[in-house]
Amino acid sequence: MRNNKSGPHCLCGPFCIMMTDNIIINIEDLGFDYASDDGEIAALTGVSLSLARGSFTAVIGRNGSGKSTLAKNINALLVPTRGQVTVGGFDTQDEDRIWEIRRMAGMVFQNPDNQLVSAVVEDDVAFGPENLGLPREEIRARVRSSLESVDMYDQRKMAPHLLSGGQKQRIAIAGVVAMRPDVIIFDEPTAMLDPEGRGEVLDIAKRLHAEGITVLLITHFMEETVDADRLVIMDRGRVAMDGAPGEIFTRTEELRALGLRLPFAVDLAEGLRARGVPIPEGLLHEEELAEVLTCLNQK
Amino acid sequence: MPESKIIVKNLTHTYNKGLAYETHAVDDVSFEVAEGEFCSIVGHTGSGKSTLVQHLNGLLKPTSGSVTVGGVDVTAKGASVIDVRRKTGMVFQYPEYQLFEETVYLDVAFGPKNLGIAEDEIEVRVREALGLVHLDYDEFAQRSPFELSGGQKRMAAIAGVLAMRPEVLILDEPTAGLDPKSHEDVLALIVDIRRQTGCTVLLVSHNMDDVAALSDRVFVMAAGRIVRAGTPEEVFADEEFMKGIGLGVPRARAFASLLARKGLVLPAAERILTRGRLLDALGALTS
Repeated sequence: MRNNKSGPHCLCGPFCIMMTDNIIINIEDLGFDYASDDGEIAALTGVSLSLARGSFTAVIGRNGSGKSTLAKNINALLVPTRGQVTVGGFDTQDEDRIWEIRRMAGMVFQNPDNQLVSAVVEDDVAFGPENLGLPREEIRARVRSSLESVDMYDQRKMAPHLLSGGQKQRIAIAGVVAMRPDVIIFDEPTAMLDPEGRGEVLDIAKRLHAEGITVLLITHFMEETVDADRLVIMDRGRVAMDGAPGEIFTRTEELRALGLRLPFAVDLAEGLRARGVPIPEGLLHEEELAEVLTCLNQK
Repeated sequence: MPESKIIVKNLTHTYNKGLAYETHAVDDVSFEVAEGEFCSIVGHTGSGKSTLVQHLNGLLKPTSGSVTVGGVDVTAKGASVIDVRRKTGMVFQYPEYQLFEETVYLDVAFGPKNLGIAEDEIEVRVREALGLVHLDYDEFAQRSPFELSGGQKRMAAIAGVLAMRPEVLILDEPTAGLDPKSHEDVLALIVDIRRQTGCTVLLVSHNMDDVAALSDRVFVMAAGRIVRAGTPEEVFADEEFMKGIGLGVPRARAFASLLARKGLVLPAAERILTRGRLLDALGALTS
């Protein structure tokens, strides 16, 4: 027993009646090294994060900052070199729990073409539940509800390669949803999509969150982070900033130094303030900024 | 008037010709691009953009129609692949996945080598290309491309195309998957390369902000056809149309429209395509 100070780590595991906190993912002092020709390279160092059940956390950071390595450490695609990661109380190093961990923490990747395996949409979504050995009727019900939850039930008989990028990504999400996960980790799910596809995928992520799923969204698009409960910024394998988006996006200079920029509305508000237009701090959404500007103009 | 750098005439590309699921990926497309012009092609996934541009460097042969680049008919039966590749350099999506050599030098030299260029000239080309992408020759030439950062890898891959000194540079989603700073760097680089080499640029992008900021003209594709063409102001004037085909308009333009719906109409709102223009218009209004 390494950590018995917080709830989910006591000997009884996830069903412990003593478990009072509401943490679904706990990351403690996580370090991860990649092997290279020049020896070990640290991709993550001293990362500690707890994700509350039902929360929506966005992770941003420049290329190579360790975001994807972090994501892969959460669903045991990678296991820690140092420190510990638990999902629903299970340690990701526990090989007997690995399939349960991957079911609990599903992952959606950047390229939808690499995630679809079947020639028909509904077969693709059924792939995971079939591997759980579920009864036929249960599989059918799950495929239906999962496809409905991403608005793709009408396309269930289609071949994935005939779908748009956004639709393919929604099928990949349905495949994860069919496993009844507690957490979905989205690793740059919109990077390869056209503007419409990006909107579709982000809407689905928000909807699944509203239905109770814990969401971890890794992205390079600042606008996609403004509705998150929490924003974590990675840099050189460490957590550089961690807080509410409204707070983080006031720290412009720090963000720039980390290779990041502001969401459009925040950036615009700042540009206007620099020109002497009295825009209040803390606006994150274009809608809010438009309201303020309209009011100012009427005065 | 000089002949256009790129002339595409009645280009059609049909997949699965003669079969029940025959599809026209490119359907009777004609357009011209002048020497030194910066044009963008936009369209949602599957609209035919990638199929179209693959004809420009001879990767695909048309079902019918023709493509001429710099006076060479690249679709002609006997067209030499080397002649075509000399004319047109193509940077694919995620080009860093195509890095394969032991050193950055060898990777960048691969293209010119295949063009049959002499060894001492190759070194000149590699130096020049790395210079264009701001990778210091002494620092990077002998390093493994796999040790570079994400942004640097992409720069090295672009250098491999520039080393062939293309007259036409085609970039397919060159900023996809990059962080905001690297995104800005790659855009600045494209502008810089064009200024230094005078090459003609064709950009394929989903980012309407970039397209509006950089392009002289924009071609909008849907279902294999060019459905709109014109300056960014002309193309993005019809916001409803651009939304209808799943692309939308630059954020500055969308924001100006949002203000208009709330009753704040900016002068010449349809010409506001960039952050700078939007700030100017709002500053003028509230000062």
